[in-house]
Amino acid sequence: MPSQTTPTHCPYCALQCAMTVTESDGAVRIAPRDFPTNRGGLCRKGWTAAALLGHPERLTAPLLRMDDGVLRPVGWDVALDVVAGRVRRTGAQYGADAVGVFGGGGLTNEKAYQLGKFARLALGTSRIDYNGRFCMASAAAAGNRAFGVDRGLPFPVTDLDAARAILLLGSNVAETMPPFVTHLQGARDAGGLIVVDPRRTATADFTADGAGLHLQPAPATDLALLLGLCHIVIHDGLADTAYVRERTTGYGALARSVAPWWPERVQSVTGVPAAQLRRTAHLLAEAARTGGAYILSGRGVEQHTDGTATATAAINLALLLGLPGTPGCGYGTLTGQGNGQGGREHGQKADQLPGYRKITDPAARAHVAAVWGVAESAIPGPGLPAVELLASLGRPGGVRTLFVHGANVAVSAPDSTRVVEGLGRLDCLVVADFVLSETAALADVVLPVLQWAEEDGTVTNLEGRVLRRRAAVAPPPGARSELWIMAELARRLDAPSTFSADPQTVFTELRAASAGGLADYSGIDYELLDTGAAAYWPYPAGSAGTPRLFRDRFAHPDGRAVLVPVSPAATGRDALFKAGTLVLATGRLLEHYQSGAQTRRVPELAAAVPAPRLLIHPVAAAAHGIDDGGPVTVANDRGTVRCTAEYSTSIRSDTVFLPFHFPGGQNANALTSAATDPVSGMPEFKTSAVTVTADAVPDTATARFPEAS
Amino acid sequence: MTDRRVIDGRVPRIVVVGFGPVAARLVDELLPAVRAGRLALTVLGEEAHAAYNRVLVADLGVGRTTVDAMMLAEPAELAAAGVDVRLRTAVRHVDRARKLVRLEDGTAVGYDRLVFATGARAVVPNLHGLNPDPHTDPGLPAGVIALRDVADAAVLRRAVTGGHRIVVLGGGILGLEAALAAADEGAEVTIVHHGPHTLARSIDAGAGHVLSATLRARGVRIVADARSTAVTLRASGDGTASFAALKLDDGQEIPGDLLLLSCGVRPRIELAEGAGLATDRGILVDHGLAAHHDEDVFAIGDCAEIRCLAAGCAECAAAPSPSGLIGPGWRQAEHLAARLLRPVSSVQALPAEPAPVMLLKARGVDVAAAGDVTAGPFDDACLDGGPLRVSQWADPEHGRYVKMVTRGGVLAGLVCVGLPRTAAELVLLYERGAELPADRSVLLRLDGPDRPPAGAATAGAADPARTVCRCAGVGGAAIDAAVADGCASVADVAARTRAGTGCGGCHGDIRARIEAHFQPAVAPR
Repeated sequence: MPSQTTPTHCPYCALQCAMTVTESDGAVRIAPRDFPTNRGGLCRKGWTAAALLGHPERLTAPLLRMDDGVLRPVGWDVALDVVAGRVRRTGAQYGADAVGVFGGGGLTNEKAYQLGKFARLALGTSRIDYNGRFCMASAAAAGNRAFGVDRGLPFPVTDLDAARAILLLGSNVAETMPPFVTHLQGARDAGGLIVVDPRRTATADFTADGAGLHLQPAPATDLALLLGLCHIVIHDGLADTAYVRERTTGYGALARSVAPWWPERVQSVTGVPAAQLRRTAHLLAEAARTGGAYILSGRGVEQHTDGTATATAAINLALLLGLPGTPGCGYGTLTGQGNGQGGREHGQKADQLPGYRKITDPAARAHVAAVWGVAESAIPGPGLPAVELLASLGRPGGVRTLFVHGANVAVSAPDSTRVVEGLGRLDCLVVADFVLSETAALADVVLPVLQWAEEDGTVTNLEGRVLRRRAAVAPPPGARSELWIMAELARRLDAPSTFSADPQTVFTELRAASAGGLADYSGIDYELLDTGAAAYWPYPAGSAGTPRLFRDRFAHPDGRAVLVPVSPAATGRDALFKAGTLVLATGRLLEHYQSGAQTRRVPELAAAVPAPRLLIHPVAAAAHGIDDGGPVTVANDRGTVRCTAEYSTSIRSDTVFLPFHFPGGQNANALTSAATDPVSGMPEFKTSAVTVTADAVPDTATARFPEAS
Repeated sequence: MTDRRVIDGRVPRIVVVGFGPVAARLVDELLPAVRAGRLALTVLGEEAHAAYNRVLVADLGVGRTTVDAMMLAEPAELAAAGVDVRLRTAVRHVDRARKLVRLEDGTAVGYDRLVFATGARAVVPNLHGLNPDPHTDPGLPAGVIALRDVADAAVLRRAVTGGHRIVVLGGGILGLEAALAAADEGAEVTIVHHGPHTLARSIDAGAGHVLSATLRARGVRIVADARSTAVTLRASGDGTASFAALKLDDGQEIPGDLLLLSCGVRPRIELAEGAGLATDRGILVDHGLAAHHDEDVFAIGDCAEIRCLAAGCAECAAAPSPSGLIGPGWRQAEHLAARLLRPVSSVQALPAEPAPVMLLKARGVDVAAAGDVTAGPFDDACLDGGPLRVSQWADPEHGRYVKMVTRGGVLAGLVCVGLPRTAAELVLLYERGAELPADRSVLLRLDGPDRPPAGAATAGAADPARTVCRCAGVGGAAIDAAVADGCASVADVAARTRAGTGCGGCHGDIRARIEAHFQPAVAPR
């Protein structure tokens, strides 16, 4: 069999590193491809991604939970008939909104788009949301409010190369998207990489040796830190006054709102010395004047109940310095999931229609209804954001039958024990996945689907550039594309409009549905992408796309950006620091991705990090009688995690860290809270009060790696 | 503006006397209700400016900020929202019987609820040549200011830009901050104070020594243990008298062009006294901020003294007495707003105030202090059986000093000079009441250059089993093997092993391994 090499992109994060997949004699090889974002680089996850193709745990037939409670293989017709029947029964008994859909930021644009349409037209429900609510919701809400549009990076990532200063807020790119780090080199060489993180992460280490500054604020104080930086910019005369005057509104109220946050006050809240704050503000302002300063935010500052306010404060700082839309300067948020950008644009969100349109906007509804060939009244109104949707499972007035696509909520949702209880209350849980994830294992019907290198489609990377993913290998027999599944179910449910199983056909429809919206894809097609064209949205038909937003105007009607005053809630922080408790922060490891459903099944990655370890400062460990490498129980009133402790001076002594890639008794989200940001619905992932206690040392190996796979 | 009387059924009228930072916070909190037409709000400010951040007056005086940037309220916006804002408006008398605030211009404003937010005024010491009557505005001679408001700042600004000599009377934090800021901006500054060192109320002798040395190194002249007796004036060109020198009890004269009084502040209570309200050092209010014997009158901020009629009230004990700190006043404003807007039963009690922390606001001079730091490590109170323990580090040559006084491992007092990271962490630990690490020296090393790197990435560089490239998961042995096989560049090694294809942080390591391999080709030594 001759070897065949297909250019495509990585299955994991939003950097979407370019790679080739080569199949020869049944073996699949991956090699990096030169591309502006990854420049021929890959991380360990990308290098080993082929291990998931043809994995022994691949699902190759639909599974149906039988009367004996066991999932057994059935044919597709049986499975789809059961699902359609359950949908009809739930709808008849409780109304259409009792059927819900939970999507994912890893789905291609085609799948995300068609999933939103499937929910609204085939299921007739408003109850659709997705796991991007756990990632990008705060940054998206802040961006929309300030700029009138939300594109993670409103500039190509290569623009960062020439920066003289980059402020990186709560983002550990050295582990989460390693090839991105090459774009920080210019700022490092100029001594201007400034990393804000309570942990001295691998990324923070890149500030060493004169490359910049690491600010290590106490947990949950990022907002105060940013208010302090805004204060310094205004009071030290560092603001770009001409820019503020010509391109923004709201300066007066903003200045008054930060006047109370002088540096020493901020120091006493954050633990970051006033001199470091001043140096940060001056470094950024100096770089902005000499043509190159950027502010980038990540989940570390966004995944909080004040995440939207914090992202807004970061945007305010950028606007005061005159960065957004200025050549060589900018503000952006680093999108996390593979299609975390495209996935938040085309209708998976409870309040959204394709093209980043608002579902409450009559003109938007009319446009989309026309594309879909239905009456505007056929499109339901806004639904519930993810955490509320999950809280409603099996409750009166809540969701009774739930579809899950591209998500593993049993592991990834906050307060996971309650979520698993909710899944258990459902009349019917339908999960589409290509392995038996922890959520799929709880399902009544499991639908085996295609993965990354087995199907065509598009994703939109962290820059807002639309990329082609290509089918490189044949899928296993028995697995089906989600587009086909939606089409089959729509037919069984007598849905109006059309549902295609062909990605290109769906993309053509997406283009029409997005036309005229904020995220306009109407000028992009597969032929264009296959030429290698760099297609950044908005890309209206007849245009050449928009690599850089905001050059001339922002997306509000008056063309200006809005400075929105924000302030910390009067209360909320002190409860974190009760005697005997530590603050738990959760996050990612280089070796794993999201809920770990994929990476825990890659032997090389699983062997590298088979189980979570609790990072704890030796000082905190000593106070709690915890040994390096010893077994510990991490607990609060929501749940318990058992794992091993790992000493590290990289973490503050009031904080511990757990990765969130592990299930069951090792799931960090058993400890996180479902409290959400009032604007974005983002849950509080980054700060939970926990107790840490040493366990008695049991038999050696089993305790260390209880779920080694 | 008409005189509005209470009419049954109308929205409640709230009048705030004073328009400083605390009043501004109260107004902000009440604003939504004003916009919604649920209450009528009048704010009476004496100054020409609406509320501004008084903490920054010294910065303004040395040109480090602007009045615009300090503003906390915008009268036009408040007026547009329906607030009756009156600046340059002095109150003559509060008539509680008729619920009227009588103004100096002869008009009156009716209220249903009255809030005193009159703040504090600078203490003018008893010196020949100054009038210290606290009930009148000082009427200080030219060249003497208390650095309390924007007008004072303008005087300081002229002195600093004019290269004048500035004498600061008082060794408290505000005087010290002003002195350091002025000296930084090039002024010739002398601090005259009681006692052996500055900040005598907050820091111990060791910290005082280190701080004095630091101040002198920055060009500030210090006259310690001084008792001043008089201000000497000289005739200026326009016939008025202005400051010439500060006279001490030993006959010494400290000459200067500007005298900056920094002798503390005193609550402004005379209006409340005139209205027959109970006062002591401040206007007496209960822990719900209501005046004694009048539930329609409240006081917040520096002018308020929380001490209710019940002797030994625990909630009052947790509340701060007038302190000159702004944070407690803001929390009082938030609490009072909730109380004015909602049924009292639904409002949570005023939160207990953490013990105050002193953080010097100065560039390049780091001082933090809190609690009682008088104990020494070998005092009786710290030896066997005593309740306290003291850990101490002194390095006067390099301007560094730390003392941690603990009770049961928790900070009862701290002082920290010249170690900013340590100071910041100690303050967090103090405010949380968290236990200190048994090895206190951990806290000293936060400012040091010896902080270890995050990972094991640079440990044991020669260890072949060590992971060199974590991004791709490649160990030293695999790289060495590739190099031995002829890979002579980072790109070659990457192509062979995947090492260096992620973040690029290991390129230096890979290069070093290549160089080490080819080393023998160079003449051995």
